[in-house]
Amino acid sequence: FVLYQVEILDWKTKQQLCFLDKVNDNIVEMAGDSIYCLADPHWYPARQSIRLDPKGKSLRDEEILQHLPVGTTATLYFKDLGPQIGWTMVFLTEYAGPLFIYFLFYFRMPFVYGLNDKLTSSPHPVVNLACICHSFHYIKRLIETIFVHRFSHGTMPLRNIIKNCFYYWGFAAWLAYYINHPLYTPPSYGQNQINFAVIMFLICEAGNFSIHITLSDLRRHGSKIRKIPYPTKNPFTWLFFFVSCPNYTYEVGAWISFTIMTQCVPVGLFTLLCFIQMTVWAKDKHYTYVREFKDYPSIRMAIIPFLL
Amino acid sequence: MAAPRSGGASRADNGYGSQQPARRRKGPGALATAYLVIYNVVMTAGWLVIAVGLVRSYLTKGSYHSLYYAIEKPLKFFQTGALLEILHCAFGIVPSSVVLTAFQVMSRVFLTWAVTHSVKEVQNEDSVLLFVVAWTITEIIRYSFYTFSLLNHLPYLIKWARYTLFIVLYPMGVSGELLTIYAALPFVRQAGLYSISLPNKYNFSFDYYTFLILVMISYIPIFPQLYFHMLHQRRKILSHNEEHKKSE
Repeated sequence: FVLYQVEILDWKTKQQLCFLDKVNDNIVEMAGDSIYCLADPHWYPARQSIRLDPKGKSLRDEEILQHLPVGTTATLYFKDLGPQIGWTMVFLTEYAGPLFIYFLFYFRMPFVYGLNDKLTSSPHPVVNLACICHSFHYIKRLIETIFVHRFSHGTMPLRNIIKNCFYYWGFAAWLAYYINHPLYTPPSYGQNQINFAVIMFLICEAGNFSIHITLSDLRRHGSKIRKIPYPTKNPFTWLFFFVSCPNYTYEVGAWISFTIMTQCVPVGLFTLLCFIQMTVWAKDKHYTYVREFKDYPSIRMAIIPFLL
Repeated sequence: MAAPRSGGASRADNGYGSQQPARRRKGPGALATAYLVIYNVVMTAGWLVIAVGLVRSYLTKGSYHSLYYAIEKPLKFFQTGALLEILHCAFGIVPSSVVLTAFQVMSRVFLTWAVTHSVKEVQNEDSVLLFVVAWTITEIIRYSFYTFSLLNHLPYLIKWARYTLFIVLYPMGVSGELLTIYAALPFVRQAGLYSISLPNKYNFSFDYYTFLILVMISYIPIFPQLYFHMLHQRRKILSHNEEHKKSE
């Protein structure tokens, strides 16, 4: 068998960080992020990026020396990705925030609307309904994060979560402020508008949940093989005939229905921004599918059937 | 630790070569370059018109107050025209960031229309002259810089001017802008300009007065960052030029 020598250089300064002599390919299945020769526990694996080329892509966990285009002396470059946070923690923080922030406004904490209106409740039933829907949406997301989602990459940079939290929590506060305001005006078309919105909301939430379950089933038992998602017996998944990312389609639908239910411009603005962001993600995912699978259904669009 | 290297590939780059991702940035083609030259020439001319207008008005009136009215129309036209630059970045014919350019152009357009045009009472203020002069000189230099760059014939004077005059012009412009917004505040409050309050069927409220105050506050983190970035650029580009000259 072959013995390797491995040297690890800093990607920017090219300074040698460590040198391993007589590395047996079986023993050290390195590359990716399992290099423990960087003995300082500060550099936990998730924040290590090891690559063959200083500016190249990170090597994945599973790669082993024998299969890489290296000679018997391998030179690898190390980049510190900065503090990382696991995806589960990310989602829990991002979703728990809006859930509880909304309650501050719904229950009209004294500092929110002034002391005259403190702890009062709205005379409009739609305001109670909106609170139930909003909370349901985020509780569902929290449950999915814990029990349903399977994440391919382990982590995300810590800096992102600060930015994301500001955005999601800030918007939640802004829209909750108007919906629960003492001067809130119920929808112009009354109960018909509200009923329509509720039905649409429930359909979209059920749809979104069905898609998440379907996607999760694709990766049963920790399998890392990527597969094309297909419609199942569940009618909500039939959107897969037409779009690559029906989960995003349903998500936008849910927010549109919430906008109709509350007839509130800030909600509409949030819906618009969600739509833009999800379209970007959907297009990205769609093109990844198209590149990876030769037999990918050509009728599918990214997020809106036949259109986008 | 220098273990003997066995024969075979043991290059520092692992025989991998520096495989860079395929360069997607195209750069302007001949047609785009022609268009950009025309665009920049037109903008240079436009701002020269504004400069001339200011000087003529000053000479005619004998004082530097209330010169805004003389150049109101070309200012609005050419400053608004700069919105095209966002499209230039979006279509990739100019290598700048879309977001950064959009931010810069929108802030100018905001001051031109949403403050100076909308609040008639501030049009007499001297602060307006302050930022108009700063903008005029900056833009004439900037657009001629781009024109010459595109034609691959950039006189050192223009490059020097672009990366040096900002040291004075930038704070001058910012002061003019802030003073103008500040002057507009009482009139905005009085007229309830661009503001909507509860209750209304859209369940939305917006207070332009508060918004303007937030805009003013935003200058505090943003201005130093941009200013020091420009200083850094200056050091990089002008000293690089010095080295070039010495080696000739």
